[in-house]
Amino acid sequence: MSTLSPDQWRALSPYLDRALAMTDEERGEWLRMLHEQDPALAAQLGSLLYEHRLLVDEDFLEKGPLISREPGLAGQNVGAYRLITLIGQGGMGSVWLAERNDGRFERRVAIKFLNIALAGRAGEERFKREGSILGRLAHEHIAELVDAGVSSSGQPYLVLEYVDGEHIDRYCDKRTLDVEARVRILLDVLDAVAHAHTNLIVHRDIKPSNVLVRKDGQVKLLDFGIAKLLEGDAADGVATVLTVEGGRAMTPEYAAPEQVTGAPVTTATDVYALGVLLYVLLTGEHPAGSGLRSVAELVKAIVDTEPKHPSDVVTTSRAIGEETTTNAARRATTPEKLGRVLRGDLDTIVAKALKKNPQERYASVTALADDLHRYLRHEPIAARPDTLIYRAGKFVRRNRTAVALASLALAAAITGVVGTAVQARRARVQRDFAFRQLALANATNDLNSFLLSDAAPSGKPFTVNDLLDRAERIIKRQHGNDASRVQLMISIGRQYQSQDEDAKSRPLLEEAYRLSRSISDPSTRAQASCALGSILSRGDQLPRAEPLIQEGLHDLPDEPQFAMDRLFCFLRGSDVAGDSDNTSLAIARDQEAQRILKQSPLNSELLELGLLMHLAETYREAGQQTKALPIFEQASILMNSLGRDETQTAGTLFNNWALALDQLGRSLEAEKIYRRAIDVSRADESEQAVSPMLLVNYAAVLDSLNRLNEAADYAERGYGIAQKAGDAVVVNQSLLERARIYDDQHNPTRAAAMIAEVEPRLRKDLPRGHYAFAAVASEHARIEAERGNAESALQYADQAVNIMEAVAKSGKGGAQFLSGVLDRRATAELAAGRRSEAEADAARALSMFQEGAQPGEPSRIVGRAYLILARVLAAEGKVDQARSAAQSAVDQLVPTMGPDHPDTLSARQLAGFDSAHE
Amino acid sequence: MVSLSPTTLLHEAYLDMAARDGPSFPDRERFMGYAARVMRGLIIDHARERHAQKRGGLFEITSLDTEPMENPADHRELVRISETLDELGKVEPDLAQIVDLKFFCGFSFAEIAAMRGVSERTVQRQWEKARIYLHRKIRTDV
Repeated sequence: MSTLSPDQWRALSPYLDRALAMTDEERGEWLRMLHEQDPALAAQLGSLLYEHRLLVDEDFLEKGPLISREPGLAGQNVGAYRLITLIGQGGMGSVWLAERNDGRFERRVAIKFLNIALAGRAGEERFKREGSILGRLAHEHIAELVDAGVSSSGQPYLVLEYVDGEHIDRYCDKRTLDVEARVRILLDVLDAVAHAHTNLIVHRDIKPSNVLVRKDGQVKLLDFGIAKLLEGDAADGVATVLTVEGGRAMTPEYAAPEQVTGAPVTTATDVYALGVLLYVLLTGEHPAGSGLRSVAELVKAIVDTEPKHPSDVVTTSRAIGEETTTNAARRATTPEKLGRVLRGDLDTIVAKALKKNPQERYASVTALADDLHRYLRHEPIAARPDTLIYRAGKFVRRNRTAVALASLALAAAITGVVGTAVQARRARVQRDFAFRQLALANATNDLNSFLLSDAAPSGKPFTVNDLLDRAERIIKRQHGNDASRVQLMISIGRQYQSQDEDAKSRPLLEEAYRLSRSISDPSTRAQASCALGSILSRGDQLPRAEPLIQEGLHDLPDEPQFAMDRLFCFLRGSDVAGDSDNTSLAIARDQEAQRILKQSPLNSELLELGLLMHLAETYREAGQQTKALPIFEQASILMNSLGRDETQTAGTLFNNWALALDQLGRSLEAEKIYRRAIDVSRADESEQAVSPMLLVNYAAVLDSLNRLNEAADYAERGYGIAQKAGDAVVVNQSLLERARIYDDQHNPTRAAAMIAEVEPRLRKDLPRGHYAFAAVASEHARIEAERGNAESALQYADQAVNIMEAVAKSGKGGAQFLSGVLDRRATAELAAGRRSEAEADAARALSMFQEGAQPGEPSRIVGRAYLILARVLAAEGKVDQARSAAQSAVDQLVPTMGPDHPDTLSARQLAGFDSAHE
Repeated sequence: MVSLSPTTLLHEAYLDMAARDGPSFPDRERFMGYAARVMRGLIIDHARERHAQKRGGLFEITSLDTEPMENPADHRELVRISETLDELGKVEPDLAQIVDLKFFCGFSFAEIAAMRGVSERTVQRQWEKARIYLHRKIRTDV
């Protein structure tokens, strides 16, 4: 056997590849064929393959000079430490218990070696990362980094505080800790994670084996190995992007959906993992359920299966019923009692932490901790079951897109412009400079508001949120309670509110308010209390809101330099009054704000626009559409002159304006303005970016214009987008709208399906007797009528009227919808042959509609009321009266619905225009 | 560590990498190649040292059991393998690297496959080829 030259080797190499990929049998056959073609080549190849057999027999190179990696290192020295025993091994590497070898300290440490299999760039970086991250984190519940280095055999290592403890779940089980004790222990973990987040670090691998509890009950969070830095060092400002390799190291059982799908990892990822940990601690089960067989199934469950409520899991009797008993016993209770403890708040908290969509989770670990603290103190928690009650409570009435008034009249700004704003604020204390500085602050604010709320097309709200998240992180990193920090918190909180991110806004504003109490600057104090009042009025803490507004106004001396703050508080006060159904106070406060602006030396047209829009919307919400309309028009002219026709503000203005027109029965005009709103807010041809509320509003007007197919299409799309965004209010709204449209399409089966979907949702969210249930009953009536069940339809129509009468009597919002259900009942009564009752209802509805209508302006709603009355009268044989009513209907319907609308045609028929068809 | 031993080199290389932010090597391939070669050098050095110590009868026996050189491979054999490997590196660098990683560094086929972004079967086939090359060279030379 001779050696081979490099050239010979290169020539043989591809043949060797093929030969080695074959089975012995295949190879024999193949060599025989090769031999016929090229005997020399086949001979060389054969000899090499024989060589292979020899080397296999002698185990050539099988045993490397290195011993197996981990065991056997005991007793070796690494730096100043002597290894004692291997205590852990994982994807990252191995961990050894060690002690000082110079006898200087008794303290034991954990030494973590980088698995040399990961010695590639990713592993190298990950290891480095853990060192640099831990170096930045000093917290009583985070294992401390003592030292770092490279061993004599070249392995990089970290020396960490040795935690002699158990995995948190086993610790809790062994000591049969009850639910409260478990929650308390987890709160220490939350504290540690929150600390990491403050340092802009996401852990990304929170799981029981990384959370140890010592015998003394002290919790320690370990393993920042795959942690992610949210931002680079402030010094270089470069964001650190982790490689894909880094992302793979997470533990599937505790991975958040976004880790599985590869979406961006944020602090919300840790919130999710903490939610899983809480779930496991509370129930003893994994949220994805037990008995999962493969990683693929687990991943699927993480991404698309909603976890069961903890309370259900601990009580569900399964095939292995003993397990529930054991799990409960480990919590010092029985399955039934455990279920009762978990049901309600803990179910809700866990569900919110485990939302698939990171944005629906707790906005921060602190927010999750706050709720757990509230739970322990038996206070109401902030999370709401699946939807936010405040939004559901505003059902229909707050029928508008997010009003981007956010930072109008708020003199602080975000990030880059903070400097000037803060300087301005401080200088304002000196009266001499007051007005000039106010103007400066206001100018800054104009710019800022434009950049953050408006300049970004409404289709890209996430950019605004990105900015806000960033700003929030920066502010949270700062300490102290100086006025500038509080101002910034208010500003960010308000911006969140304008994005309808109330869950993020509320804790910030609460904190700003708390800090502001120790500040003497009146404007900071007032802004903090009024901003908090405003956000609370949208939630279930409405009673706290009005006193906060009054406190804010009280804090402000009636001096010119506080004009802006007074204006701000009056506007927020208007929101609160409106939410409290005190419409006259709401309007009065808006007008006061306008007066302040007129009297102030400031001349901000943008502010004026904001005030006009606010006043118009206050009127509209109060049911005074006729007063709202001219103000919407005025605002639209001003907006146009300010060059803001293409902004989010424009989208909002058009939507609200069109809604007012629609509510007055001016459908054709409303349709045109809705169209403008959609055109402004869509980012591209797809309309995917348009607010689903706007799409559903538009569907409603198309429905009344009898453009049923288009209406169905818009309502269905609005539903889809709202569903995806988790916007419960719009989902409900769109379901009701779809039911109406399908009824108009004479498809009661489909309509009934919509009602079947929406009704339980509403029952869950809304108080009994809410006017939304009148809408549901009314829709039931239509469905029954379509199916020819006149009596049943009448019963539902009765129910709807009863609900609305009660609402009107109680003075709660929504009374303006009474006339609508009366008309529906009139139709039902007519079909059931109860003509006199029908006439009474129709007449009453008509007079109510006329009251609300704009004098001299035709209205579809009034027209329809006339038409229904005409039908009733005709059935009663009151021919002349019927004709007269039908004539009035035609007068109202032609300009609002067009001459070809079925209602118009029907009215014309009754009026005797074309009796030939009758 | 006074002399410029490979350990020191690796140590310094590591510290250098750790001090800087961002990748120190233009790509992972080159990092791996570098690390594997350093590791080989380190081990052979270690073998030589131990050989010397044995002969010198020094007291460094306490750690015998746990020394990386548990395999009684002759250090001269290791040196020969190393030299042949350098030769192979000139003809087929990929194969040489696999021997570095598998034989000298102790990685498994799966680990090497993951590092190099190829299938385990490919790594195994390349390993067999490399063994054939080395076996022929070394045994024939003997």
